[in-house]
Amino acid sequence: MSDLKPLTALGDASARTVTHGVLTLKENNALALVSLALRRDSPEPTPFGLGLPGPGLWASSGSIAALWTGPGQWLLEAPGRAESDFAAEAAAACPGCSVTEQTDGFAAFEVRSAAGEEPILALMAKLVNLDSARFGPGTATRTGLEHMSVFVIRRAADRLAVIGMRSAAGTLWHALETTAARLAEPRA
Amino acid sequence: MRLAGGLIDLGRTLRFTFDGKPYEGHPGDTLASALLANDVRLVGRSFKYHRPRGVFSAGSEEPNALVELRSGARREPNTRATVTELFDGLEAHSQNRWPSLSFDALAVNDLFADFLTAGFYYKTFMWPRALWEKLYEPAIRRAAGLGSLSMQPDPDAYDKGFLHCDLLVVGAGAAGLAAALTAARAGARVILADEDSRLGGRLLSESDRLDDAPAGEWITKAEAEFASLPNIRVMRRTTVFGAFDHGVYGAVERVSDHLAEPGAQVRQTLWRITAKRTILAAGATERHIPFRNNDRPGIILAGALRAYANRWAVSPARRVAIFTNNDDGHRTARDLLAKGVGVAAVVDSRADARATGDYRLIAGATVSGSKGRLGLTSIEVTHGGGTEWIACGALGVSGGWNPNVHLASHHRGRPIWDEALQTFLPGDDFPAGMVVAGAAAGQGGTAAAMASGAEAAVTALSALGIEAKRPTLPRAEDAAAGLQPLWHVPGKGRAWVDFQNDVTVKDVKLAYQENMRPVEHLKRWTTLGMATDQGKTANVTALAVMAELTGKSIPQTGTTIFRPPYTPVSLSVLGGGDSGAHFRPTRLTPSHEWAKAQGAVFVEVGQWMRAQYFPQAGETHWRQTVDREVLATRKGVGICDVTTLGKVDVQGADAAEFLDRLYCNAMKSLKVGMVRYGLMLREDGHAYDDGTCARLGEQHYVVTTTTAQAGPVYRHMEFARQCLWPELDVQLISTTDAWAQFSVAGPSARRLLERVVDGFDLSNEAFPFMACAGLTVCGGLRARLFRISFSGELAYEIAVPARYGNALMARLVERGADLGATPYGTEALGVMRIEKGHAAGNELNGQTTAQMLGMGRMVSAKKDAIGTVMTRREGLVAETRTLVGLQPVDPAEPVVAGSHLFAGDAAQNTETDQGWITSACYSPHLGSAIGLGLLANGAERLGEVIVAANPLQGQRVALRVVSPHFIDPEGERLRV
Amino acid sequence: MLIPHPLLGPRDAQEFTYLGDAALLNRPDGMAADAQAAFNDYVYLRDNPAGVHRELWFHEQGDRSWVVVTRNTVTHEILGAELARDVALAAKAGAA
Repeated sequence: MSDLKPLTALGDASARTVTHGVLTLKENNALALVSLALRRDSPEPTPFGLGLPGPGLWASSGSIAALWTGPGQWLLEAPGRAESDFAAEAAAACPGCSVTEQTDGFAAFEVRSAAGEEPILALMAKLVNLDSARFGPGTATRTGLEHMSVFVIRRAADRLAVIGMRSAAGTLWHALETTAARLAEPRA
Repeated sequence: MRLAGGLIDLGRTLRFTFDGKPYEGHPGDTLASALLANDVRLVGRSFKYHRPRGVFSAGSEEPNALVELRSGARREPNTRATVTELFDGLEAHSQNRWPSLSFDALAVNDLFADFLTAGFYYKTFMWPRALWEKLYEPAIRRAAGLGSLSMQPDPDAYDKGFLHCDLLVVGAGAAGLAAALTAARAGARVILADEDSRLGGRLLSESDRLDDAPAGEWITKAEAEFASLPNIRVMRRTTVFGAFDHGVYGAVERVSDHLAEPGAQVRQTLWRITAKRTILAAGATERHIPFRNNDRPGIILAGALRAYANRWAVSPARRVAIFTNNDDGHRTARDLLAKGVGVAAVVDSRADARATGDYRLIAGATVSGSKGRLGLTSIEVTHGGGTEWIACGALGVSGGWNPNVHLASHHRGRPIWDEALQTFLPGDDFPAGMVVAGAAAGQGGTAAAMASGAEAAVTALSALGIEAKRPTLPRAEDAAAGLQPLWHVPGKGRAWVDFQNDVTVKDVKLAYQENMRPVEHLKRWTTLGMATDQGKTANVTALAVMAELTGKSIPQTGTTIFRPPYTPVSLSVLGGGDSGAHFRPTRLTPSHEWAKAQGAVFVEVGQWMRAQYFPQAGETHWRQTVDREVLATRKGVGICDVTTLGKVDVQGADAAEFLDRLYCNAMKSLKVGMVRYGLMLREDGHAYDDGTCARLGEQHYVVTTTTAQAGPVYRHMEFARQCLWPELDVQLISTTDAWAQFSVAGPSARRLLERVVDGFDLSNEAFPFMACAGLTVCGGLRARLFRISFSGELAYEIAVPARYGNALMARLVERGADLGATPYGTEALGVMRIEKGHAAGNELNGQTTAQMLGMGRMVSAKKDAIGTVMTRREGLVAETRTLVGLQPVDPAEPVVAGSHLFAGDAAQNTETDQGWITSACYSPHLGSAIGLGLLANGAERLGEVIVAANPLQGQRVALRVVSPHFIDPEGERLRV
Repeated sequence: MLIPHPLLGPRDAQEFTYLGDAALLNRPDGMAADAQAAFNDYVYLRDNPAGVHRELWFHEQGDRSWVVVTRNTVTHEILGAELARDVALAAKAGAA
């Protein structure tokens, strides 16, 4: 393996984490990402046994997850495998598809609530214009957040992932942290 | 004067100042109620005539009591005292007066009132035009006006948010509460928003009983039920200010306005609410009856007088009078009497009026005048052919109630006149999904309002397939109004219609005489309704006066509709926090940390922060640094982070065909493992963007775009893929951020790279100019290598996964120390590309063609690529301006981008203009300034001396026309 | 405004970038004899009706689909939305 030392998207040696009230934000720097696109007439694959989700959805199976990103397109997630050549594995698992390595294209931030879904919904309401009634666990979408394009994944009632452009990771983290901090602040 | 009772916490005292004088109030007070409790009636001066003014209303419709709130950077002008919640330490100042509120020098304007009538500005300041900006406008702005800005940045934070619901209920009065209860119990997702700090709306201001108990008890129960339900969000201090398309509403929540400072919270939040259905239950606003000198402090809406007594336990005076044309005025008299306030008389314009309490009724009478310079002392009552002066400190005026139809009108829906109620009701073309209920729909009685709110909720939800049950509503009474219209009291003198903009009945008459009769003309001629209150207490009255003058009915005369915002919204909150550093995202390059540690100077390039240059010890001017970086690169090797260029992964069976149609030059013939320069045109034949196209595999390409156009070009490519040629098998993925990419340029570039690649053959034979390959570097790291050059030197671009970019940058500089490896920034990059004559953003500015850029032969006539047909247009073919190099005849002379080019001895005008300089820099290589320019017949004029004119700085510089390739015109360096 | 995305349901218009008349789908054949005239019309002549209009929107902050939205430009009422790719494919199938 290379002797070069990687930096996280936030420019640190290791993943950043912070807690404000009941919300904890954590940079998921070990997440491997791959874009998958169907070619003309290619059958929909089931990479690593995972049935690919339909529009607006996210699905996980074992150590792999996927979200729909566009017609015939998905983003595959492999937690903890950023340092492996996941793109090559994915290409092998999806014969006849277009596969593009995306691990370093994005910065992923995981938000966890210690008090159920309410704080997650409150955070979302300040950041993304999505109807929470149509954004329950198992859904994912791309949308705008502070003038950035991000993927938002509702991994569970009390868990949200926000995946944005790697180069703007600092801005995205700042937006998430500022909002979480304000939500934790009592209102007079 | 403070009364007993009310929703005031007398147990706690809040200190505040008004015009520097200390006062005390209590939690529950507004600034207006606290001032009245302290017997302060004079609170401001009017806009035009500087007339003394006092509190006129008890809500957001207030036209008079506008104050400057707070101090320093938080000073906020034009704040309505009637909706300002009192807090400890509140500081308020009156506006539009000098030197003091009680003695205002510009009150002299009032003496010239005959000159300051409708259309005054239009008529007076027409000529001479030159005086407008210098004299008239500043004078008017000083004399007339509102409060002044702090001129400091707003120190508070603002944010925004997004809410979605089945039903949005606007207003939490009797109707809104009933609607919200009905819908929340049915399980619908409900948002209940009210501008007030407490729920209840008008119920808070009335002595009405619900189920034989004070209304407050029922409200408290409703609030408790809301709190117990997960599906309703109650938003207090939240004004829904606008109805936008498709059920989208704008609302401002005043999170911290009621505090001295917001602390760690935001001051306000801008909410965008997407509602499937909306109930407008915004209540009604009382109208007044203009009479001579009806604007003195102490003259107040009757309903407001009652609200101050019932809710805030204050009265502007110990002895008050009422002027009314309906039964509601009598209710005010009864409530005030019950609170121990003396009622001098109820003056009722209706001849058949009857007293309903222990007060003196003067029926069939009008108030026809008033006295009291800084506050009301007595009123003149006309009845039975005679007049009588009655002493009183306040007069409550009731001319009926106007439904708050504003939001129903935001899509140009016109309110409709209701003859029976003598008022405008919402018409039938509301914004889609809206239902109007309660007083806003003319259902002003408590029981009627509640019933209509509940009914509206049932109707709105049934359209969504949600079945709601009508709740059991508390017993309440509906008081009849019995209104007989009286729109103004005729007579001499000035009777104000619009207090905030100082518009009188006379002004309306003048507008009529001057034929400004349509409502829209009336508004503009008199400025009626155009103040910050949007004429909430004035418009309908003015319309009725105009109707009377024209002899037409009110509906024939017209109606006014409303635009957002319902009440003023600060620009700060509309920005939603997107100011300063939060204006847009900041994107950092992968080697940002390393560059920062080197002391690089950064420059904003769109959203990107890029290293502009890397100063070293002893360098005192940026040019020294840039010259060094350029020379070091040309002599040894330089390294630059070029990650910001857009990168798009193109795959698919038809990827080659797709790219061939996208670029004007041939792409299909590109071999695997090779790179080609590509030029994209717009469909109109002009150059759009350029970059490189690398064929990584038979069906796999990576193309680059310019930094600035990465987003638009990707959109353009998707347009071509989805809209133009959907039959092609091609997939696009943006990968700009995935790869850290560095240019390694200079004669020693190969030697440096040999030290980091893992046994990859970099020889010219194995990896020639324009080759590309995947490989590993630094002991197994996946990488991509492209032999391309922007500088004109032997150069490569190497890409690694972005997280390794910082380390690779450091490694390259470290391993190349003996080769003179030098990091360079965007300045040196720019200098070298000008020296090499490469087109960049200044040349690809949307006005140039391939032909102008010297690339005309690249445009293939053998295929139908985007833009190629239109390049053959006569006008574009006839264009002779082409890209040339420009060098000053005297090397000490400057070359300034933007200068225009002329033949040496020609007169300089648009007819003789021969082109312009697109880019310029100092070339350390040539030892002089150089430029690139577009020059008429440029290709044929090499060697000619022309003139660059820069009239802005009076410059004329003699330039020699040369090849745009200042460096290595044959390209030999690239191929070694 | 809300755009009824054919796959994702109603989405805020702020996620979209507007292009204009959906006639841009009908790109002329650049190799045809009358290509110059046809492209002149295609590039410069667009309808701009007050009323029902078919227009192209790009879901830029979303799934990157181009969408053909049928919208009344006077009332802003949206009458339908289709994936531009489907519209273009159907048009090509019809022409063939």
